[in-house]
Amino acid sequence: MSRRNDIRHILVIGSGPIVIGQACEFDYSGNQAVKALKEEGYEVSLINPNPATVMTTPGIADHIFLEPLKPEYVEKIFQQVGPDAILSTMGGQTGLNLTMELERLGLLAKYNVKVIGASTESIEKAEDRGKFKDIITSLGLESAKSRIVHSLAEAEEARSYIDLPVIIRPSFTLGGMGGSIANTSEEFLPLVEKALEMSPTHEALLEESLIGWKEFEMEVMRDRNDNAIIVCSIENVDPMGVHTGDSITVAPIQTLSDRQYQRMRNASIDILRAVGVDCGGSNVQFAMAPDSDRMVVIEMNPRVSRSSALASKATGFPIARISAKLAVGYTLDEVMNEITGQSASCFEPALDYVAVKVPRFELEKFPLPSSALGTQMRSVGEALALGRTMAEGLNKAIRASERKLEGLVELDRKENDIDTLLHSAHPLRLLAAYTVIREEGSSCLSRISEITGFDRFFLNALYEQSLLDHRLETEDLDLSLLCEAKEYGMSDRRIAQLAGMTAGEVTALREKHDVHPAVHFVDTCAGEFRALTPYCYTCYGEADEGEGLGDNAVIIVASGPNRIGQGLEFDTCCTLASLALRSHGRKTVMINSNPETVSTDFNTSDRLYISPLTAEEVIGIMRKEKCRNVVLQLGGQTPLNMARQLEDWGANIMGTSLEGIDETEDRGLFSALVRRLGLRQPENRMASTEAEVFEKAREIGFPVLLRPSFVLGGRSMFIAYDEDGLREFLENGNVTLSKDSPVLVDQFLEDAFEYDLDAVCDGESVYIGGILQHIEAAGIHSGDSAAVFPPYKSKPEILDQMRQWTLKIARELNVRGMMNIQFAEKDGRLYIIEVNPRASRTVPFISKASGVNLIDKAVRVWLGESLIQQGLVNPETHIGEGRCHTGWAIKEAVFSFDRFVNVDPQLGPEMRSTGEVVGMGRTFGEAYAKSQAASGNILPTRGRVIISVNKKDRKTIVPIARALQELGFSILATRGTARDLFDEGIISDVVLKVHDGRPNIVDLIRNHRVDLIINTPMGFHATKSDDDIRTEAVRSKIPYTTTTSAAAAAVDAIRYLQQKEYVVREI
Amino acid sequence: MRQGYLILSSGEVLKGRLFGCDGQLAVGELVFNTSMSGYCEIMTDPSYNGQLVLFTYPLIGNYGWDDRWAESRGIVAGAAVVHKLYTGPLPPGRKSLDEALREHGRVGIEGIDTRALTLKLREDGAQNCIICPEERLEEARAILSTFPSITERDLISQVAVREAVHRPDLGDGFSAAPENPSHRIAVVDFGIKSSIIDNFYRLGVDVTLLPPTFSAQEILDGDYEMLFLSNGPGDPALLGAQVEQVKACLGKIPVCGICLGHQIITWALGGRTVKMTYGHHGGNQPVRDLDSGRSFVTAQNHNYMSDMSSLPESVHLWFVNANDGTVEGLYDSTLHVRSVQFHPEAAPGPQDALWIFKSFLEEIGK
Repeated sequence: MSRRNDIRHILVIGSGPIVIGQACEFDYSGNQAVKALKEEGYEVSLINPNPATVMTTPGIADHIFLEPLKPEYVEKIFQQVGPDAILSTMGGQTGLNLTMELERLGLLAKYNVKVIGASTESIEKAEDRGKFKDIITSLGLESAKSRIVHSLAEAEEARSYIDLPVIIRPSFTLGGMGGSIANTSEEFLPLVEKALEMSPTHEALLEESLIGWKEFEMEVMRDRNDNAIIVCSIENVDPMGVHTGDSITVAPIQTLSDRQYQRMRNASIDILRAVGVDCGGSNVQFAMAPDSDRMVVIEMNPRVSRSSALASKATGFPIARISAKLAVGYTLDEVMNEITGQSASCFEPALDYVAVKVPRFELEKFPLPSSALGTQMRSVGEALALGRTMAEGLNKAIRASERKLEGLVELDRKENDIDTLLHSAHPLRLLAAYTVIREEGSSCLSRISEITGFDRFFLNALYEQSLLDHRLETEDLDLSLLCEAKEYGMSDRRIAQLAGMTAGEVTALREKHDVHPAVHFVDTCAGEFRALTPYCYTCYGEADEGEGLGDNAVIIVASGPNRIGQGLEFDTCCTLASLALRSHGRKTVMINSNPETVSTDFNTSDRLYISPLTAEEVIGIMRKEKCRNVVLQLGGQTPLNMARQLEDWGANIMGTSLEGIDETEDRGLFSALVRRLGLRQPENRMASTEAEVFEKAREIGFPVLLRPSFVLGGRSMFIAYDEDGLREFLENGNVTLSKDSPVLVDQFLEDAFEYDLDAVCDGESVYIGGILQHIEAAGIHSGDSAAVFPPYKSKPEILDQMRQWTLKIARELNVRGMMNIQFAEKDGRLYIIEVNPRASRTVPFISKASGVNLIDKAVRVWLGESLIQQGLVNPETHIGEGRCHTGWAIKEAVFSFDRFVNVDPQLGPEMRSTGEVVGMGRTFGEAYAKSQAASGNILPTRGRVIISVNKKDRKTIVPIARALQELGFSILATRGTARDLFDEGIISDVVLKVHDGRPNIVDLIRNHRVDLIINTPMGFHATKSDDDIRTEAVRSKIPYTTTTSAAAAAVDAIRYLQQKEYVVREI
Repeated sequence: MRQGYLILSSGEVLKGRLFGCDGQLAVGELVFNTSMSGYCEIMTDPSYNGQLVLFTYPLIGNYGWDDRWAESRGIVAGAAVVHKLYTGPLPPGRKSLDEALREHGRVGIEGIDTRALTLKLREDGAQNCIICPEERLEEARAILSTFPSITERDLISQVAVREAVHRPDLGDGFSAAPENPSHRIAVVDFGIKSSIIDNFYRLGVDVTLLPPTFSAQEILDGDYEMLFLSNGPGDPALLGAQVEQVKACLGKIPVCGICLGHQIITWALGGRTVKMTYGHHGGNQPVRDLDSGRSFVTAQNHNYMSDMSSLPESVHLWFVNANDGTVEGLYDSTLHVRSVQFHPEAAPGPQDALWIFKSFLEEIGK
């Protein structure tokens, strides 16, 4: 074997917070890499400020640093633990960019750190579009007509050579950020200008448009002996013009002849060789003109990617793990394929199923105009499904994307403009095509193919589905038709809709005829060898493989595709639970549809199912596994939503009972509970008509918070400050009001402090992992708010009250396992906002900051070990509590607003953040400074501050302004603020508000004449006029705070940063 | 679609839907192939004579059929066994797999649980089977019960040339014979794939196809620089006469071969071949070049393999299969012999080993 012995200690770079285009696939790959390297006996350090990840769980790497991904912190790590190599390819674009920056700063040479994975030269060759294009040409391959430009003049010149539409891509940005398509000469120059601004090298590529061409991806691995393999080929159902992350894709490639496929395969390997990727994986993207042999190379990524995570799950081949082994010197043929245990890694996986990926969009949170998809990625997550046919794969994957679509369904023409959808790259385009096919039959296929660019092969699958749907509507649902529908991957509910029955009747019919799903193994070899590691999917009408694990096993229902409010944190909880259960001698079965995750890694659980997360499918798996134990409280809302159906079927839900869940989820029951226990919650009423909403709001008094039942991530929540605001909201059609779906009208606690508390309970005692205090005041969703552990501005008696209330609630609901409570404090009075009988987003954060793995404790409770036995609680008080082991830990939310040009970044009760980071420190200032650095909000250490605060804040801002002045900042203030500051002896320059003339605040921001902005909103009506300030600040990347508490925190952080002594701390 | 059955000699009867010439019977050895593309090349590969091909990839026919991809003049495999046949619209100029089978008088069956059947073949080994329409079930059972095993069948004479052909025309989709050839070789046709000849043509080699009834004398008397033995169907142990002729050539002219050719060479060198349980059939088999240490992903299609221990020590192992360690290539530098078990010409499958053709030619003049 050929392990490198010239290196001893490897630093792995993580990808930081989840943003659109860089999600938990990098936790998955980094985690695999760390494990693979440790197995080889290397010392492994890890830097990643994302506390939600599995990879930062203590024990995974030897040294874990939750520190900002900035050169100054990496340098400290070099000094402190002395790695001699750095693995650049596991942290996405962020990892590559940081590596390049370390190289440029000479830090790699200074500390004698070797780059492994992808050399800086090969990164350069692949990422520099000019160099890459030269390589393509030298290989005799074709790339799209293009020009690199650095200025608008160069861009004008290039236009004479490239016809419109032109694709514009900035260099060195992740997920194609800043990319666009210019269709007219008017929009051409402004779009180029924006792209140049986005690029760190002020460079952009202008390119011939290949919109409508077929798009393909090849996942390739190559080792230092020039062995190369294609792990997976992927075909995009959506043609060129839609970012591959936003496309519906299928593996393997379906519509290429072997000759075409081999040409693409050869090209991929030639490209890796020429770029110099010689110890890892890459993906190469191609376009092919429909019905032609013209093949154009689009791009390559010399690292693991979202596609490689997808390819790993689609094939069962662990790309990141093998990449890590290649990075330390092994060759492909030396690394055995652990799935089969028989084949060498230099064989190419053979699939005997199709793997369909459907992206998940947040259309409600980031509204898209009808033609919004483009070269810039917009989806926040994805779901994968495996099936034996295209229709089965599509039906399951669409269902798995949890968009309330029962697979391939027709759209309601009343609500959707089908023709517009067909002509635009809209997320619903495939279903629009289905709608037309359903109406018009096979005669429309070539027309639809021409309009949409969907290959006729895929449209034919829709056509076959439409024939079956018609039969389901018109024929009796006999056994053979039922079986056929199930083989098409249709749910009982969808079959019922078409057949005019209830879902229960279809299920009963299945039960009667004993029609149940069969299990197939994903073995990477199409059955050629016996698979050792069981990775499965279910399908109908075929032979069932393998035996159930039985009742010793525990099934964990995970959280499905990432979305706002339900993402990586929950996957981490599920993964940790599986590890904990296994360490306590239980077997585990993981069910998930999210291919990006660690939970779907082949060795996280004893058995893994890629499956849509629906009650029907989970029941099918429980039946097969002969196992009734199921964990529902770790995957967010998705698993809880199926609790009732699973329990009715006979499942044994681990932990808190269904009654306990209902009491917290049903707001009526919850209010009764609060009264019964003598606790306090904000005034609240239920309303099912518009008139009733007004009536209740008046009763409670404005401001009020409106929200529907059973929600996650605060969807459709709204704060109304007065009747006009309320009317406006209701008229926008945001809520459907009825007896069945009433709206909750709550008293809104303006300016209250908010708290998050995560606890493990055993029915008798509670162990509080920690209490987090939000920095932003109430009204901003807890997921979007910065939060401090431990609370930094609270009276001990309030905290004690929280502990007592927690114990009361836990006992009353008989909570077993995880519980999360949100509290608010206003004028010294404590309110309970909500109780979630499940793990929350903050569990991984609290676990890491306190050094106590809460999930493990919960698992031990389920297995019968009380919290007293675990030594976590005081046997007298029945309460225990964790402490932050570094002193302070601050969680900061991270947003992807820069992906959506026209979205106001204002925060509110609806969650919109995509990820989070942590800053840990001995002082509050250190922790806050790091949390800001890690989230990309670069606090200045000198310069100019604009202060513009509302009346209420004029007292509290004084010490802040004074401190900033003492720290050397010059102060600009709007007129009123300036006067108040002057009264307190602080002199500032007056700056004009937006409507008071020019130059005003926005001009200063736009011209980068400001380094920090403190702008507290002027109440509801004034917020509108503040829009410009915030939007401009985001656009110009100038740090800003919207609360005085955050401003005070920033002062502490600036004080820390001015010392210029960076400290890194291992957890 | 007409209902039909696939009956295994072990007794199982699988129900499916017939396509192609759906009234007729197809009988032979059932083997599985794990390639995800290239059904046209596979069905027209003469090595599949006498065999019915089960495709493990469930969707077959997706991109249609083009005769220019064919590895021989017609469909040779006895039948296609698939999970789901594509019947939708195709790119202009292509026919469907269904049409192609009808044109060539072959049948296919779809709606089969190909995964279960593959696992069965993996565990029990390749076996005879028959495909029939519903109403001919009893007749088919009777035929199957007396049908000879593949080791007892002469499959070569049906697919090989009957007399020598100089500069065979490969037709549309392949290279033409070189105008100014650099070498001249004799190729014994046991059922050669067009792509093998195509690769020689591309390297500027003049090819004369000889029938399997060739003699050493005509090789040695002819103006040839190399004897090349092609791929082909069936059991090499039945080819005693050919082995003798090859033996007579050894040491007098370089001898190279692919697949069946490699197996004949094994016998001629004094070794033996043995039947494998279910063989290697697919486009993802890794082989390791023991000289360079490099590995290649190759296309393979064989049920027999060389037994290395049976060969004299002068014979060197060139390639081994990186999965199961079986012999994938041999050479003997003193005798100028070189052969590979896998298919360097690919078609279908990865083209990583095309360089093998050059190394064959390097034996000339060594």
